[in-house]
Amino acid sequence: MTIFLQASFEGLALGAVYSLVAIGLVLIYKAMDVLSFAQPALAVVGAGIISALAVDRGINFWLAFIVALIATGIIGALSERIFLRPMVGEPVFSVAILTLGLDVLYRTILDNWIGVNPRYMGDPIFSWGEFGSINAGGVILKFQELGALMTAVLSVIFLGYFFKVSKYGLAMRATSFDQETSLAQGINVGRIFGLVWFIAGILAAFAGFFITGGFNLLTQASFISAFRALPAVVIGGLDSIPGAIVGSIIIGLTQGYVAYYQFPFESFTGINLGNGFSLLAPYLIMFVILIVKPDGLFGTEEVERV
Amino acid sequence: MRGRPNLYTDYRKETAILNTTTQKVWAFIGLILLIISSFFFSQYWMYLVTTALLTAVAAWGLNIVSGFAGQISLAHGAFIGIGTYVSAVLGGVGSSYIRGYELDMMIWLPLAGIVPAIIGLIISPLAVRLKGLNLGLVTLGLVFIASYIFSNWNSVTGGSGIGRKTAKLKIFGIDFNDGFHAGSYHIEKDQFIFFLSLILFIFAGIGVKNLMRSKIGRAYAAIRDRDIAAEAIGINLYRFKASAFALSSFYAGVAGSLIFVMSGGVDPTQFNLVYSVTFIAIVIIGGAGTVLGPLFGAAFFSLIPGVIKYFLHLVGSTADQIPLHPTQIERLVFGLLLIGFLIFEPRGLWGIWFRLRNYFKAWPFSY
Repeated sequence: MTIFLQASFEGLALGAVYSLVAIGLVLIYKAMDVLSFAQPALAVVGAGIISALAVDRGINFWLAFIVALIATGIIGALSERIFLRPMVGEPVFSVAILTLGLDVLYRTILDNWIGVNPRYMGDPIFSWGEFGSINAGGVILKFQELGALMTAVLSVIFLGYFFKVSKYGLAMRATSFDQETSLAQGINVGRIFGLVWFIAGILAAFAGFFITGGFNLLTQASFISAFRALPAVVIGGLDSIPGAIVGSIIIGLTQGYVAYYQFPFESFTGINLGNGFSLLAPYLIMFVILIVKPDGLFGTEEVERV
Repeated sequence: MRGRPNLYTDYRKETAILNTTTQKVWAFIGLILLIISSFFFSQYWMYLVTTALLTAVAAWGLNIVSGFAGQISLAHGAFIGIGTYVSAVLGGVGSSYIRGYELDMMIWLPLAGIVPAIIGLIISPLAVRLKGLNLGLVTLGLVFIASYIFSNWNSVTGGSGIGRKTAKLKIFGIDFNDGFHAGSYHIEKDQFIFFLSLILFIFAGIGVKNLMRSKIGRAYAAIRDRDIAAEAIGINLYRFKASAFALSSFYAGVAGSLIFVMSGGVDPTQFNLVYSVTFIAIVIIGGAGTVLGPLFGAAFFSLIPGVIKYFLHLVGSTADQIPLHPTQIERLVFGLLLIGFLIFEPRGLWGIWFRLRNYFKAWPFSY
C-alpha cells in the first residue's frame, strides 16, 4: 500500500510538471493554431538561465528564479514576434516544423553552454527537511514534488481567474474563438499572441525548474522529460485546457506506476521490458488513446467542410 | 522538332524522365563530373559526397510520404535506423554478445529495405486514422519508442554509447573490405562504396521520378491536396497512404543500410529526434514535393561540414579558438536555415532554382 501511495504521489507530481508545459502548449494552440514543439526546449532554457544566474553568477537563488521565469517568458514572446508572426495564415504543418527549427536553435545554444557535466540549479531545496523531503507515514514526499503540485494547482486557478475576469483574458478567449472578428472588435491580436507566448514561457520555465531542480540536474538530455508533455496534450485533446491537465495526470500516473511496478511485473511474468520502460509508457498510452479517439479525450472533433 | 525543345507532339515525350535536351545534357555532364572527380577527392570529401548521395535517397523517401502524399512523418530517422540494424545484423560480424551473420550484400541490401517497409505498413493504419498535427505527434512518439528499443536491444545494436560495427561488403562472395583489384588498378574501399551509392542513388532517383509521373503519384498528390475530395473521386485512401508509408520506409532502410558503412560503426543514440528532424529540414530546405528538391537539400546539408571546415582552415583558426564546436555551428546554421526557408522561401532551394532558371530561359524578357 505504501508503494502504491508513493507511486501515486510521484506520478501526480510528474503529472503536475507535465501539465505546466501542456497548458502552455494548449494556450498557444488555442490562440494561434500553432503546435509549438519548442516548448520543451524553452523549459530547459529556463532551467539553464536559473543555473547560470544562481550558480555561475552567485545571485540569490530566489531572485535568479524570478528573473529566469520572466526572461524565459520574454524569450518566448520574442520568438513569437520574430519567427512566428510572419507565418500567420500559413499551413499548420509548416508552422509546426518551424517550431522544430526553434527547438534545434535553443537546444544547440543551451547544449553548448551545459557542456558534458551536469549543471546544478543552486536551489536550497535539498537542505529542507530530511534531504529535501518529508516522511508522511512511510511515503516520502519531496519538497520539489510538493512544489510542482502546488505550482500547477495555483497556475490553473490563476489562469482560470485571469480568463474569466481580466480584460486581456477576455481578449484571449475572443482571439481563440475567431482572430479576424476580434481584430475587428479592436483587440490587438498581435499583443495577445505575445502575451500567450509570455505566459507559456513562464509556465515552461517553472516546469524546467521542477524537472532539473533538487537532486535531478540539468543535462543535455533533460529536455526529453519535458517532451512527454506532448503525449499528454495529445491524449487530452490539443484545444482543451482541462484535457491537458487530465492528460498530464494520466501520463504522470502511468509513468509513476510503471516505474514502481515494472520490476515485480517482470519477475512475475518473466518478460524483460528493459531499462527505463516508464519513460516509454506515455507514448504507448498515447497510441492506444489516439487509435480509439483521434481527437483526444476532450478535444473538439474537427468538422471539415468539403 | 530540332531547336524547339519545348514543343511536345506526344504526351509520352512530355512526361519523359528527362524531357528536354538541356536536362539530358546536364544530367550526363553532372554524372561524368561526379565519377571523374571521385578519383581526385580526398578521403574526407569522398565521405561527404557519398553521405550526400545516400542522404538524398533517404530524403526522397521522406519526400514520398510528406511531400507527395502530404502525411507528416517525424519518424524517418527511426526507419533509417531499422535499415541500418537489419543490414548490420545480416551483414556484420558477430561476437559473443552481438549478433552478426556476415551474409552477402545481395541478401542484406534488399532486406534492409523490405523490413522497414513492412514496419511502415504495420504502423500505417495510424496514418489513416489520424491526420495533420496528431499524425506528426504520433510519429514523434515512434521516434522515442524506436530509440528506446535501439538502446535496449544490446544483442543487435551493441547498446547506447558502445554501438556496433556495420555490415561488411561482400558481393557474390567477393570481399571488398580491403578494396578491389581490377587488373593493375586498385579501387579503394571508400571509392567502391561511393560507386555503390551512386548506382543506388540513380535507381532511387528514377524510381521517385517514375512514381511521381504515374497513377500512384497522381493519387498521392490528390490525397495531399484534399483527402476528402480524393476519396470522392475513387482513390482508396487506406491503400495509398499505407503504400506511401511503406515506400518511404523502404527508401529510408536502403539508404540507412549503407550510410554508416563508410564510417564502419554506428551508435544507437545516433537515431534521436534531431536526426529525424534533419531529414524534414532537408526536404523543406530543398523543396517539398519535387524530385530535385531533396537532392539539393541533401547535397547542401551533407556538404556544409566540409565547407565550414574549409572556411575555418582559410581563416587559419583551429577548432579551439572559436566558442562553438563545428557540429554545433552546423546545427545552428541548420536551424536558422530551416526557419528562414519556411518564412521566406517555402518552396526551398528548388524554388530559387526554378525562378533563376525561368529568368535565364526568358531572358531578356521578364516572363
